[in-house]
Amino acid sequence: MPRKRVDDFVVGLVVIAATVVIVGSTLWVQQVDFRQRESPVEARFRDVGNATVGGVVVVRGVKSGRISGIELGDDGWVRVRMRMDEGVKLPGDATVLLGQASLFGEWQATIVERSALPPNPDVRRQIAEASGERGTLPGAILPDVAQLTAVAGRIADDMASLADRVQTAFDDSAASELRSSIRDVAEMSSVLAETVRRQSRNLDAITSDVGSGVHALSDAAATVQRVAERIDSSTASGQVRSVVDNAAAASAELRDAAASLRVLSDRLSVSQSRLDTLLVSSHSLVAKLDSGNGSLGLLVNDPSLYQQTDSLMRQLRALLTDFQANPKRYIRLRIF
Amino acid sequence: MSAPALSSPSQPPTSPAPAILSGLTRRAVTSVGRTVRSAIGALGKGAAFTLGAIVSAREVRTWAPHVGTQARLLGVNSIPIGMFISGFTGIVLALLASYSFTGAIPLYFVGTLVQKAVTMELAPVLTGLALAGRVGANIAAELGTMRVTEQVDALETLSFDPLAYLVVPRVIAGTLMFPIVVGLSMVAGIVAGWLASYYLLDLSSPQFVKGMRLFFEYFDVRYGLVKAASFGFAVALVGCAAGLGTRGGSQGVGQAATSAVVRSAVLILVLDAFWAVVWLLGRAT
Repeated sequence: MPRKRVDDFVVGLVVIAATVVIVGSTLWVQQVDFRQRESPVEARFRDVGNATVGGVVVVRGVKSGRISGIELGDDGWVRVRMRMDEGVKLPGDATVLLGQASLFGEWQATIVERSALPPNPDVRRQIAEASGERGTLPGAILPDVAQLTAVAGRIADDMASLADRVQTAFDDSAASELRSSIRDVAEMSSVLAETVRRQSRNLDAITSDVGSGVHALSDAAATVQRVAERIDSSTASGQVRSVVDNAAAASAELRDAAASLRVLSDRLSVSQSRLDTLLVSSHSLVAKLDSGNGSLGLLVNDPSLYQQTDSLMRQLRALLTDFQANPKRYIRLRIF
Repeated sequence: MSAPALSSPSQPPTSPAPAILSGLTRRAVTSVGRTVRSAIGALGKGAAFTLGAIVSAREVRTWAPHVGTQARLLGVNSIPIGMFISGFTGIVLALLASYSFTGAIPLYFVGTLVQKAVTMELAPVLTGLALAGRVGANIAAELGTMRVTEQVDALETLSFDPLAYLVVPRVIAGTLMFPIVVGLSMVAGIVAGWLASYYLLDLSSPQFVKGMRLFFEYFDVRYGLVKAASFGFAVALVGCAAGLGTRGGSQGVGQAATSAVVRSAVLILVLDAFWAVVWLLGRAT
């Protein structure tokens, strides 16, 4: 064989072998399924985050497939095609959650039952929104680890701020006050313990007294039971009936007496109001007399008027005496 | 015409300092101009040589019978050195990654790093540099010897186009075979990294494969192979240009080989940066 032909053969062989090796390795790494043993599954999402083609699909923590395609759909949906490994059975009422598999940017699709969804209202809202299309699983995106760490960071900041404030407030005086408070609490605890011990002893005594009281009550209950038996027998002979009738008659009489008393009370109330009015008028009259208003007031309050009146009365009495003594001086009867 | 007749007695005598300065300035400017002219001339020669090779590619009957031989010499015979280099690079890369990934980063990322680095960068560049030394020097020395022994002139005398007969088969062989060599080097590098992870790092095979598949894309392989093809084209063309441009005797052949290796290495790095800017920058944004 000529040398050139040998060279061509060797080169061709190497090229074919290298092509097979390179292409085969690439397809193996990319996990291309030529025999179509995998079953396709489709899900729809509003957002797929950083999920990429080739991402892992997990069912109950077991790698069971991979994402084979991501494309934009109608009405703002993103459709994710997955190829599940041969023999993998999806759970009933399955949903798909996209989330970070680790802190290093890998995303994976997790297929879970609807009842096993995390108690995140946003996730449940996404699942509810994506449900309803036949042959397509509803999907949701889990909160990004970055968001969670941001929230954790804010919490850490708040904790740090709180610690600073506590540190600021908890100075030496606060520490000494806290120390004395603790000491007081310890003393109070010992006092309380002593009190409790005493009360315990008292309680023991009370308990024994209560026991004897219970015995007495038991005896009294027996007595009451006997009385009740007697009442029962009395009821049977009609004595109680007559007592009750008498009591009813007495009660009716008492009711009538009470009604009479109520009428009397009403009258008294009217009389009292009248008396109040009279007293008010009297008070007004007396006030006027005191103030010297009116004839009577002047009479009461003016001594000269009294003296004149007294003098007038004396004169009238003298005039009357004189009139009785000498009526003719004053009265002259003429007939015709 | 005598010198005193040129200078007028009324003019003041010129001091020596400005004369020296003006001489230095003139020499500096001349040097810059010469350098620029040389660079542009080299670019022009390279462009003319490349254009001539492309034009000569029309003579298929002249170069086609020699492609197989050159492909075997430049490509098939270079496969062991390429796989050797990438294999040891993969081992070192795996150990380096495990050394760097302490604490928080899972060890299966060793697979990711080995796959990405070997496929996209180390296998093409290191193999290209190695082949620049082997293939570039080989071509330059061979063609240089033919030039100084006037075999090239003999070809021209026999109405053979030296570009079609000597350059085109080597450039085509280099362009076609470099991706083959680099592709096998990629496989060797990843397998070596895998074995190193398994035996030296106690990293299980599924874990390594998981990391390797984590961020793998077809683009990684395509990027590396296209770079390798451009490296092969550049190395073969530079070697041919250096060889056919040989002057003098055996010393000229040595200089041509050295020049071919240096220029090929520089060109490989420039092309590496070029492809990174063209493809990776666009993908990153």
